[in-house]
Amino acid sequence: MADNEALTADALTLEQQWTPPDRGKVGIIFLIITETALFSIFVAAYLVYIGKSLVGPYPKDVLEIPIIATICLLSSSLTVYLAEHALSKNELGRFKFWWIVTICLGLEFLVATGLEWKKLIYEDHLTISTNLFGSTFYSLVGLHASHVTVGMIFLLIVLAVTLMGFPIQTQFRRVLFLSWYWHFVDAVWVVVFTVVYIVGR
Amino acid sequence: MASIDYPLERPRHGEKTYSFSEALYSWVSTVDHKRLGLMYIVAALIFMIIAGIMAVVIRMQLMFPESHVVSPDTFNRLFTMHGTTMVFLLGMPMIAGFSNYFVPLMIGARDMAFPRMNAFGFWIFLFGGLLLYFSYIGGGGLGGAGSAPDVGWFAYAPLTSKAFSRGAATDYWILGILVSGVGSIASAINVIATTISLRCPGMTLSRMPMFVWVMLVDSWLILIALPPLNAAQIMLLMDRHLGSNFFETQAGGSAVLWQHFFWIFGHPEVYILIFPAFAILSEVIPVFSRKPIFGKPAMVGAVVAIGFISLGVWAHHMFAVGMTAWSNTFFAASSMLVGVPTGIKIFNWTATMYGGRIRYSTAMMYCCAFLLQFLVAGLTGIMLAVAPFDWQLHDSYFVVAHFHFTLIGGAVFGIFAGIYYWFPKVTGKLLSEKLGKWNFWLFVIGFNMTFLTLHFAGFLGMPRRIYTYAPDRGWDTINFIASVGAFIQAAAVACFVWNVLYTLKKGEPAGDDPWDGWTLEWATTSPPPEYNFEKLPVVRSSRPLWDLKHPQDPDWKYE
Amino acid sequence: MSHEIHHGEAGERTEQSHIELPHPTFWPMVFAFGITLLCAGLVTHWAVSAVGFVLAFRAALGWWHDLIPIEKYEEVPVDPAHRPAPIMVETRTVVRLKLGESGHRVHVPESARPYSAGIRGGLAGGVAMAGLACLYGLIAQHSIWYPINLLAGVVIPDMGSQSLEQLRAFNGLAFVAAFIGHGVLSILMGIVYAAILPMFPKHAPFWAGILMPLFWSGLVATTLNILNPVLNERISWPWFVVCQLAFGLIGGYVIARSTNIHTMQSWSIAERAKLEAPGIRPPREDSDK
Repeated sequence: MADNEALTADALTLEQQWTPPDRGKVGIIFLIITETALFSIFVAAYLVYIGKSLVGPYPKDVLEIPIIATICLLSSSLTVYLAEHALSKNELGRFKFWWIVTICLGLEFLVATGLEWKKLIYEDHLTISTNLFGSTFYSLVGLHASHVTVGMIFLLIVLAVTLMGFPIQTQFRRVLFLSWYWHFVDAVWVVVFTVVYIVGR
Repeated sequence: MASIDYPLERPRHGEKTYSFSEALYSWVSTVDHKRLGLMYIVAALIFMIIAGIMAVVIRMQLMFPESHVVSPDTFNRLFTMHGTTMVFLLGMPMIAGFSNYFVPLMIGARDMAFPRMNAFGFWIFLFGGLLLYFSYIGGGGLGGAGSAPDVGWFAYAPLTSKAFSRGAATDYWILGILVSGVGSIASAINVIATTISLRCPGMTLSRMPMFVWVMLVDSWLILIALPPLNAAQIMLLMDRHLGSNFFETQAGGSAVLWQHFFWIFGHPEVYILIFPAFAILSEVIPVFSRKPIFGKPAMVGAVVAIGFISLGVWAHHMFAVGMTAWSNTFFAASSMLVGVPTGIKIFNWTATMYGGRIRYSTAMMYCCAFLLQFLVAGLTGIMLAVAPFDWQLHDSYFVVAHFHFTLIGGAVFGIFAGIYYWFPKVTGKLLSEKLGKWNFWLFVIGFNMTFLTLHFAGFLGMPRRIYTYAPDRGWDTINFIASVGAFIQAAAVACFVWNVLYTLKKGEPAGDDPWDGWTLEWATTSPPPEYNFEKLPVVRSSRPLWDLKHPQDPDWKYE
Repeated sequence: MSHEIHHGEAGERTEQSHIELPHPTFWPMVFAFGITLLCAGLVTHWAVSAVGFVLAFRAALGWWHDLIPIEKYEEVPVDPAHRPAPIMVETRTVVRLKLGESGHRVHVPESARPYSAGIRGGLAGGVAMAGLACLYGLIAQHSIWYPINLLAGVVIPDMGSQSLEQLRAFNGLAFVAAFIGHGVLSILMGIVYAAILPMFPKHAPFWAGILMPLFWSGLVATTLNILNPVLNERISWPWFVVCQLAFGLIGGYVIARSTNIHTMQSWSIAERAKLEAPGIRPPREDSDK
């Protein structure tokens, strides 16, 4: 039947034009959305409790703006983009370089956070149970730092397998998604930074 | 990935009898969306029976005034575990189960987008549920005697603080839900990615079955609503173990903040729970009315609208807390607003039935009962959205009756409709209609005996969660009737279980398409093969099977 | 890709002997178990957490190897014995209800006044009403601002405490509030008029010009002490009724002068609901969809 042939031809064109989005992309985007919802509650708790601490130390006394760590983390967004871009062009050398730079920047951020916490705990005697500032500060910054740590672990794994000679370009999609996650972690830092170090002080 | 040949490690052969250990291995290691969906549904039903037995015990305790069937402590644990189980271990896995099984089949895919994460989601839900129930053994700490959580399913602060809730029971509540919540998130991401990325050619968003649409929005709600609960639970856990002060009023923390955080999750959650029923109704009613669904764009619009508006209504659970007049007004108005899209849905289901040639199978009867009962639930919901009215009836049995009308009369009835509708697809056998009618009528009668009457207990001032009551309060008769209704509901569920077991053993074969359906799952065998479709289908309209059955009069000519 | 995906009509058969599906793996289960133990350790014993961590770590490695370098697939043989039955072509055709068919219960206005007529009518009525109200102010209180200030009392509670002198004087805020309030109400009323006038079986002018203003006056009279206590105390009811009648008559007249337009109501209800089903709309000429 002519009708049937038309339908089959129709099916063929449909099939050729059918390009739904990549499942990994959709997955990572919605993972980021749900993580955003998680962070927003901690941010909300921080905002609600600004200035509600009954005892000191208060943020204005003890918090110093982590300029260098912030610059490091934000610029790592750029370097991870450069690395991923290099990988998409199959330039492994450049990829490795920028990837290592990203890791170094991320590590510097984690170290800076660690030093900040050390100072707060041992010099300023601010712990999570001291007051509301302590509770909200350590939980919000800690949640963010744990996300940086998870990202860092994945970055290190990618670096390790690349250095061991694994053809990382075959996993370009996954590297791309990891870089998106890293951008997300950076973007969250912008919010955390604004809330904790600017609004909260 | 081109040109790489996949390693062929364990080819499976078609019909082969497995030994017990092989069968166990195949179930434990499966990543097949149908098997996982089935496991979700079966696990959810088992949890439903456990929590249902708890409900019966609660009703036995309340059957007569001043009775002592169980101790007060046990009673507190019973209603806590009943609520927690029904919401997190029946409702949530039911969503995952139905969407896992039917979304890929309906959009013409071979599996979910992330099959391994799918398996992970199921197992972590199950282990989370078991962890919650392990509290019966380990709740007092391993040294002490066990005890389950007894803080109510919304676990209001400061009752949950270390001072008032000793032992580890509350920690089990936190961890069990936290862990199983990870599974819900995993499954929700999976459903969204599957729906967006794995649709077969021609399955545009506007041609997607309503079921898939509702499940998509439902998954969206899960992604937005569940993290607030998890965040609040993490804070609570830190309060209890690290000494932080989030909900510690003595250190300036706020117990009301817990309520806000909980209900930011909790209110969208009730929409999350009712959505599978919406999804199922939107498939069952058209097929059994022999009419396409009325006003599909409006239906999609309504469900998407609920997906957003329901995020902004949470504080109507908190009118009695003492919020500002502006907050009360805002949340009263937004709660009434969410009634509009819900009304559209009820209207459109009714309009679908109007003028149709209705076949009253058990599935359809459940849908009809849903429409009436959910309408009542919606109306009492609007009543409770009026802040001054809520002040009168807050935390009374009126509220209990209201949300049981939404969650049993709505969600569970919808789920039963879905089970009767798709059981032949999943097993290849038709559930007995005779037993089904028994199941249905017993359930409807028992349900209304229990919960219709409890509205009046609420009007007469009976507070929820009380252990017992004095005989002179005028609540005796109502409670007696309600308890008898609970036994009838138990009989109805027993009927259902018997029906399933009986059908599995000697049910009549269903064939591929017993209901003359229109969506893609009816185009494959019952039960579907592992790969669902030999060739992934190409669709041209909302009702691909209609097109094939009516080549002279296909839908795509008109869309 | 070595595993080509074949598309076809629903239920169509393939010539392939195998179809590739994700390979079964138990590592997700072990991973889930590990995570659960990790959490359970928090309330039991740290050793439980340690076991959980080890399990989760091992499972993560196993899971990793399922995905990388390539996602493991298994080939499932196509089972020729279990193929769906061919889809039967239905020979029955569908007959549809049409609007106006005998026995059909739907009665709807097929044509109606345009909303623009309602807006114009509302504005005209509103102007007439405002003019009369100001006339009343001029006659009774020697100030056209007096009724305006009274009307503003609906939204500005302070007006209640003002003296007669103040009420007679011009008050910018009150003027703006009264202007907006009166304007919006007039336009909305006009639209309501335009929408409901076609539904009255007969005597539409009488309804619009006389009865509705009287009803409205009655409604206002009973609720005014809640809405606007100032206005309630000082209102002159005969003037009020006259103003309402002016609105009704003039607004109604303007609306009645407009010409009817056809509504969607003349379409079938299924069409308006964008119902997608055969036979409701005539098929498209080009069926090459």
